[in-house]
Amino acid sequence: MGVARAGSDLRPAARRFIHLRGAASDGQRKTTTYSAFSLLRHGLTHEKWQRAWREHEVASAYDAVIVGAGVHGLATAYYLAANHNMRRVAVVDKGYVGGGGSGRNTAILRSNYLTPEGVRFYDRSMTLYSTLAADLNFNVMFAKRGHLTLAHNDGSLRTMRWRAEVNKLQGVESEVIAPEEVKRLVPFMDISSHTRYPILGALYHPPGGIIRHDAVNWGYARAADALGVHIHQGTEVLSIGVVDGKVTGVTTNRGEISSPIVVNCTAGWASLVSSLAGVSLPIITHPLQAAVTEPVRMFLGAVVVSGSLHVYVSQTDRGELVFGASTDPYPSYSMRGSLAFTEELASHVLELMPSIAKMRVLRQWAGLCDLTPDFSPIMGTTPVEGFLVDVGWGTYGFKAGPAAGEAMAELVATGKTPELISSFGLSRFGDGLLVGERGAAAVGH
Amino acid sequence: MIRIGGRVVAGPTRRIGPQPGEVIDRSRSLTFYWNGASRAAYDGDTISSALAAAGDRVLSRSFKYHRPRGILTATFHDPGCLVQVDDEPNVRASHRQVAAGMDVRALHSWPSLRFDVGAANQAVGPFLSAGFYYKTFIKPQRLWPAYERVLQRFAAGGRVSASSPHGDYDKRFAHPDVLVAGGGPAGMAAAIAAAEAGAEVMLVEEEHELGGHLRYGDEVALSRLQELRAAVAAHEQIEVLTNSAVTGRYDDNWVAVLQRSMPHVTERLVKARAKSVVVAVGLIERPYVFEGNDLPGVMLSSAVSRLVNLYAVRPGERAVVFTGNQSGEAAAAALERAGAEVAAVVDARRGGALLRARGRGGVTEVETGDGARVECDLLVTAAGWTAPTLLVNMTGVKPRYCDRAARFVPGDDLPSDVFATGGLVGDGDVDLLVEHGRATGLRAARRALETLDGHGPLTALPRLEPADHPALFRSRTHGFVDLSEDVSSKDLVSAAQEGYDSVELVKRYTTATMGPSQGKLETINTVAVLAESTGRTVAETGTTVWRPPHVPISLGALAGRNLEPVRYSPMQPWHEAVRARPIVAGQWIRPEHYGDPASEVRNVRENVGLIDVTPLGKLDLRGPDVPRLLNFLYVNKWSKLDIGSVRYGVMCGEDGVVADDGVTGHLGPDHYFMSTTSSGASAIYEWIENWLQTTFTDWSVHVTEMTSAFASINVAGPNSRELLRRLVDDVDLGPDAFKYMQVRQGTIAGVANCLMWRIGFTGELSYEVHVPAAFGLYVWEALMAAGADLGVGPFGLEAQRIMRLEKGHFIVGQDTDGLTQAFTAGLDWLVKLDKEDFAGRPELVWQSERSDELRLVGLQPTDPTVVPPEASQIVSGANEIEGRVTSSRFSPTLGRSICLGIVSADLAHAGTVVTVKQPDGTRVTARVMEEHAHFDPAGERLRG
Repeated sequence: MGVARAGSDLRPAARRFIHLRGAASDGQRKTTTYSAFSLLRHGLTHEKWQRAWREHEVASAYDAVIVGAGVHGLATAYYLAANHNMRRVAVVDKGYVGGGGSGRNTAILRSNYLTPEGVRFYDRSMTLYSTLAADLNFNVMFAKRGHLTLAHNDGSLRTMRWRAEVNKLQGVESEVIAPEEVKRLVPFMDISSHTRYPILGALYHPPGGIIRHDAVNWGYARAADALGVHIHQGTEVLSIGVVDGKVTGVTTNRGEISSPIVVNCTAGWASLVSSLAGVSLPIITHPLQAAVTEPVRMFLGAVVVSGSLHVYVSQTDRGELVFGASTDPYPSYSMRGSLAFTEELASHVLELMPSIAKMRVLRQWAGLCDLTPDFSPIMGTTPVEGFLVDVGWGTYGFKAGPAAGEAMAELVATGKTPELISSFGLSRFGDGLLVGERGAAAVGH
Repeated sequence: MIRIGGRVVAGPTRRIGPQPGEVIDRSRSLTFYWNGASRAAYDGDTISSALAAAGDRVLSRSFKYHRPRGILTATFHDPGCLVQVDDEPNVRASHRQVAAGMDVRALHSWPSLRFDVGAANQAVGPFLSAGFYYKTFIKPQRLWPAYERVLQRFAAGGRVSASSPHGDYDKRFAHPDVLVAGGGPAGMAAAIAAAEAGAEVMLVEEEHELGGHLRYGDEVALSRLQELRAAVAAHEQIEVLTNSAVTGRYDDNWVAVLQRSMPHVTERLVKARAKSVVVAVGLIERPYVFEGNDLPGVMLSSAVSRLVNLYAVRPGERAVVFTGNQSGEAAAAALERAGAEVAAVVDARRGGALLRARGRGGVTEVETGDGARVECDLLVTAAGWTAPTLLVNMTGVKPRYCDRAARFVPGDDLPSDVFATGGLVGDGDVDLLVEHGRATGLRAARRALETLDGHGPLTALPRLEPADHPALFRSRTHGFVDLSEDVSSKDLVSAAQEGYDSVELVKRYTTATMGPSQGKLETINTVAVLAESTGRTVAETGTTVWRPPHVPISLGALAGRNLEPVRYSPMQPWHEAVRARPIVAGQWIRPEHYGDPASEVRNVRENVGLIDVTPLGKLDLRGPDVPRLLNFLYVNKWSKLDIGSVRYGVMCGEDGVVADDGVTGHLGPDHYFMSTTSSGASAIYEWIENWLQTTFTDWSVHVTEMTSAFASINVAGPNSRELLRRLVDDVDLGPDAFKYMQVRQGTIAGVANCLMWRIGFTGELSYEVHVPAAFGLYVWEALMAAGADLGVGPFGLEAQRIMRLEKGHFIVGQDTDGLTQAFTAGLDWLVKLDKEDFAGRPELVWQSERSDELRLVGLQPTDPTVVPPEASQIVSGANEIEGRVTSSRFSPTLGRSICLGIVSADLAHAGTVVTVKQPDGTRVTARVMEEHAHFDPAGERLRG
């Protein structure tokens, strides 16, 4: 097995992908490469496009079953196949590809976290995201617009400085800028001192930005499929088989699957799915709401986050403003939006940019967040042998998808927990070794 | 010709003679501007009806292919009729009424609407199929930003301006018994019946007047409309909101209504808690998919009826009508009345089919299923209806597909306080709709008034069901399914072939139904095309989840007036009078300093100072179990605290991380008073209540939030005792009678019920006094007056921060962070692990067993003039992080720089010299101190 060490080669996956063209066998296939030329050819000949990923019968056995076809599950499957040559892999999901948090988040990427563990991890994710379009041959539209976290009081300004200093020492571009500089980057921002929460400065993180979240999910799905991974949509895991402390497979609405490895990548449903294997997780699920406005011409060049005002906003290439806030204050599995959320959101956004009062909210929705006591994820092994988890991502799982998938794939393939995720194990809750990212992750986006 | 002031302003008019139901006021002419040229209108005209009357056919260019678009539906949802009005983007031209002087501009056209450069995209259309951008611009990656800028140029929508004023918005709460969404015949009848049954009714109508489709119906319809309107008007218990929309029905009938018809405010959000809700939003006519279906001149039958009957506009000269229902016939009749020629009627019920429309910039010819070609400038389609079910579906009910009627219906099993009537439920003549509406309104009123069994028997609910309708979604040709997103049926077929074959995936991949109408026009055809290309039925394919809001709602209306609370202490007028510099501290605004923090420090150290500490959290705790509670909340022990004493305590979360600190005093039997940090006040109160309400439910403790009930003043400095003595008669302030860490209740300056505790955050002899808030300013002024000869002066937050740093007291959240467990904060002396359980204990036991933990230490820079900025990193080697400076100041008392910092365990020894990397990159050194306190570590001053 070609085990790629994290950091030793930035793009093993890309090579693998390219190499595969013309070498279809064992469930793999010739994949049409997406390019301007292929667009032109299809446009001229009206030739049908290949399916992005195929439909398969559910096989009776796989080497690994990944539950959840979001970015974490799909990335894990892809890196298993691409980096470790493990291809008898199934990704099962009760809904459709990217239908959960991976398609409901606000698609903001950044790596300016606070703890060295956090910075290292997200920096790896950003590195993978930066080349993802080419690696997957799917334009994921990563736009490094720059990411601003506003400081409205001296306390948060101090935290911004701290983050900037930690980031700089870790080689992550990040600096504290003055209100005038904020205004230069975002001319619509009200930096006057008479606002309720004046802007005292901001943490500016130039590589941060937004990405097309659906494209990431689809890109991983397509690339994993090309390598032989089976993606089963509409396939719900009803039970997880465990015999003598070892996982034996899963029972789905489409039949039984035996597998020595089951990976739980189900985010908001993580504790429910884990309980099927008898594994109890310290996770509480809260809804997180978001909303989008009607499009207008580009006017917001950067991603703007305000922790004090509990809001983050960016403008997509389509011209819509996408907003998010902090999680709803109560545990729930409901994915309905509330009126109070949009009211608070609007008042906070207009605090920052009063001149966009006439823009209209077009749609609101909610996703589910799996929150852990220390606001850090749970990745790795569980007391049930072969049952692995990549859960507890709370509000920032999307940012972590590639790095988490890469690390989980390594764990599945080698049986060893990669150093990058070693501090995020489930056992830390029993050993008193929590990893806090509350300050930088829980309210920042 | 339209003449205004003798000047011809537009081409041939299409305005016809007066119509019986017209809503325009011909006695009031207005002028507005369309792309800079003046246009005439009558009061009551919408922007698009006025433009149609003036002969303007093209109202916009589509955002992707820049195809010309005109009026399609003549309703709020008209996809080709979004315009810029002054500084307002995306205005619905088929709904917004013309106002004099309006500057209306078309979207997506450059240099002009007629000649548009972007239209070149039409030629390359085959290569710009849905999702094309996922397949290209991949390499070289560094060029993506450039490609992205090009894509952004094609973003849909109007413009916002940084100089736009915020505008005036408002909110209102309402508590109607019955809220009726939709003021058509059924909605009006429901409102009338509910009001007759005694209910207070709010009737909400999206259009500018009540009536629904009756307004543009025949004479019978108009006469019924007059009756219904008169009956509504006759009821004082019905409040009518026109030009208003119910945007959502949330849990427990929490209903959002966007009211646009208010004078003086742009929009108002009405938040109604309705006892029952009647959904009577009617039906939306849906477009038909065929080649050329987006050309200007292709209109829905209801659009034609609206233009002729409401606005007296002839929408074309020569028309072809394609119809599957009576609405098509009504449109044909309206056209003939308007003087247009109906060249052909193609009836789908008799096998007629429509193949394509041709033309450039507008329809010029239609090809029917039998191959006939008919010249025309107007093609009318009547292909069926969509029930906008969102408000019903927000209750959790899923829409159900009715095959024979070829439309989705709301679904069954509504909650008992939500009712549906009118076209949403089924088709019928006016009498049936009114009868059903009345019966529904009565039921809603009885549910609201809880008189289900009273007031006589209920009449049976008449049968109202969707009528059979041919399944007309797409012709044999391909056309646009979503005009606002420029998505064609070919795009959908191609997306399904590529595997995006569920309704949610095809939506996300092609963006169909994601535009301004959120699928109200587009979803059914999207589903139908997808069903066709996947071999599934429409019912199996299902719809996407309908999401609020029902119509887009402005950020201004959602925000309303800015009601962010600001908290001031009762002494704020005094601070303002002496021009204290304010600082925002959470919800509070308080004095940072009064001009010179260093001299404020010196005055406290030498004389006496007053600081306003009102924001300190204050909780009154009563009950026999308070000691148990304190033992649980704090890391230290609380069982033995005499009455009259106070104790310092630290609270940790369950993760062992320092959460708050403060002083709690024992005031009397079963009576304690707790102070928390200012920033933690509300969180700690909620945290305590959470424990009491969810874990210790059998404990007898009552907690009362008192933060704002008291004004708090810290009197600090060597002269503080003398100052207080001048104003306090009933408490012995002598050093042996009122010792350090004790509390007394007494009278200050004649104000009874004051609390005084002798504690010292500043390190000086000091008294924190809490006086009833109403007397705060009075006591503050009395202290200032009484201490003039003692050198009393105010000091602000900054001076306090300097003094506490001199004294080595940490600030939770500054010198600690989200990771700082108690032992890291140096609280070894305080944490009592031998207590029975307390919050954070398991984590702290673990922490106590580790030796490699970070530590908070006192630091002094080697160069006493250098003050390393807070957040400077403590490093070793090249860039290895070993800690950071958490607080730093220049000490006026010591004449040197002083710091607190968190460092790794192996550096946390007195005398170690560490390297500090400042934000500007320069490195300095600092020495780790014996103690956190830089000044008076023995505490002689505060105990004196």
